[in-house]
Amino acid sequence: MKNNRDPGRLARKVVSTAIKHVFLILMALISIYPVLYVVALAFSSGESLSTPNFLLGIIPLPTSFTIDHFASILKLQVVTGSNFPVWVRNSALITATTVVGSVALTLPAGYAFSRRSFRGQQVSMFSFLLPTMFPGVITIIPQFLLFASLGLVNTYWAVIIPFIVGSLSLSIFIMKSAFDSIPKEIDEAAMIDGAGELRIFWRMLVPLTLPSIATVGLWSFMGSWLDWALSHVMLSNNSLWTLPLALYDFLEPNYTYYGSFSALSLVMAVPVFVVFMIFQKYLVSGLTAGSVKG
Amino acid sequence: MASRSGPGGVLHRIRGSAWLFILPALIGLFFLVLYPFAFNIFVSFTNMNTYHIRPCAAIFTSAAGCYSVQSDLFKNYLSVFTDPAFLQIALNTIIWTFANVIPHVTIGLVLAFVLNSKVRGKSIYRMFMIVPWAMPSFITLLIWKEMFNYQYGVINALLAHIGVGAINWLNGGCSSAMLAMIIANVWLGYPFMMIIFSGALQSIPSELYEAASIDGAVGLRQMWHISIPMIRPTIVIGFFLGCIWTFNNFNAAYLITAGGPYAVANGSVFGCSTIFITEAYNLAFPGGGGLANYAVGAAYAFIAFLMLLVPGILWNRSTGLTRRAS
Repeated sequence: MKNNRDPGRLARKVVSTAIKHVFLILMALISIYPVLYVVALAFSSGESLSTPNFLLGIIPLPTSFTIDHFASILKLQVVTGSNFPVWVRNSALITATTVVGSVALTLPAGYAFSRRSFRGQQVSMFSFLLPTMFPGVITIIPQFLLFASLGLVNTYWAVIIPFIVGSLSLSIFIMKSAFDSIPKEIDEAAMIDGAGELRIFWRMLVPLTLPSIATVGLWSFMGSWLDWALSHVMLSNNSLWTLPLALYDFLEPNYTYYGSFSALSLVMAVPVFVVFMIFQKYLVSGLTAGSVKG
Repeated sequence: MASRSGPGGVLHRIRGSAWLFILPALIGLFFLVLYPFAFNIFVSFTNMNTYHIRPCAAIFTSAAGCYSVQSDLFKNYLSVFTDPAFLQIALNTIIWTFANVIPHVTIGLVLAFVLNSKVRGKSIYRMFMIVPWAMPSFITLLIWKEMFNYQYGVINALLAHIGVGAINWLNGGCSSAMLAMIIANVWLGYPFMMIIFSGALQSIPSELYEAASIDGAVGLRQMWHISIPMIRPTIVIGFFLGCIWTFNNFNAAYLITAGGPYAVANGSVFGCSTIFITEAYNLAFPGGGGLANYAVGAAYAFIAFLMLLVPGILWNRSTGLTRRAS
């Protein structure tokens, strides 16, 4: 590059690189700041919120280091009969059922939308997109009234069924685009060899869509593991509380457990974060398939 | 409409059972989305609340303790539109949507461009940048609520460093509560935009840039004349999707402020940071034994839906998601 010999140009290049790095470092710091803060709080002693110490005047550090909060969330009872093992059990049951259910529903639907062409296809595909455009509350109110009239409020089903259905609108399009990306020649060759449709679907196509199945599973996992709005309405019974309901309650103004809140948020968030980072590539491509490109 | 001829080749042979594959999902969709949606519209014309909870024998005749369609059909909608708080809530909703989506798209775009240029350590930077998206938002929003704490929150502590007095973010004035909510949600939203814009930038064929350099266009001019026009469709989709998601983001609008603090204007109490969806939720599920006004809540929810229809349709058009694979 002969241009680099020009001193004015070189100087401008150095300045623009420096500006880029300053900007990126600043944005990186902003991006992780709440995490740094909650880590500092989780390892600070005492339950009350206190101003952390700062490193370099910006980065929060624990006031006096302790790991007590991680031990105490195990036995903390915000309300009688409702504690950490109960919340974990409820959350795990609800989430596992939701994940299995949404994969079971989206696999065949994604297949049919990709491989078949039938009367009413456009309309039914559009109806699966509709929930994306619905404000969540437009369904929460009538869903609550529906489950109340069926006597299902304060049961696991009151959240599991809406979670499964709620994940469909994105998941079906993720699965459709996964099946779209498998050449139709594979089906045709197998069909000429005499394989039935269900066999082709189950034995040949489904294994090829495993990354997308993981994405769908992960998507519904994230939707149900950390839901608060619907659970808050449907699961008022303390013994049915899930982790997010308990976590929210830690911040009730009457009795604040900031230390335990911070420790529990890390315990809840870190697994999700790790899984997300591992499957990042699939999540990104799945999500863009389901929302950005057709 | 779908054409009647199936995809080419032997796949012609199978037909008819397509609905069996979709039926389970469709039944779920019907009972939990479409039926509740219709029921929501119905409820918005009734007098359903804590005291009128079961349906009357005849839907147009009211009796004690049951709900029926209002004799004055649009009573709930009228009470919504004539409530002085309505204008404030509508204004809040519009501010909330644009004050979030414009920074989302702008920051996302700038980050995508910077990370797409020649700069050292971009994969590490990128990993940091997606933390707001990778961390569960339910939890990070509650952390933001702590950060905005008046007495001990880290934001006021940082402001004190630069000589700015403590701001009562969540329980002070109206604008500070809105601002707190917007800051937290802007933080939540830019990584997604950055990711979709980076993806779009990387898919631009490098020949275009090479041809432009030969013609003498470099740097910002390349960005302006090649990159931006090439990724414009993605920017448009990102913008509409951002509008829909922000408008619908109940957690972001509720967990930090729960719609408050409350103020009085023209003799009517309104939530400073209340938007349509939080108003609907608060009306139907007031908590603390308050009167649950399902009917007016449902009316608010339906108005929110109508407002969303515009970006929703534009989004659907710009993606072509429902078009069949050719």
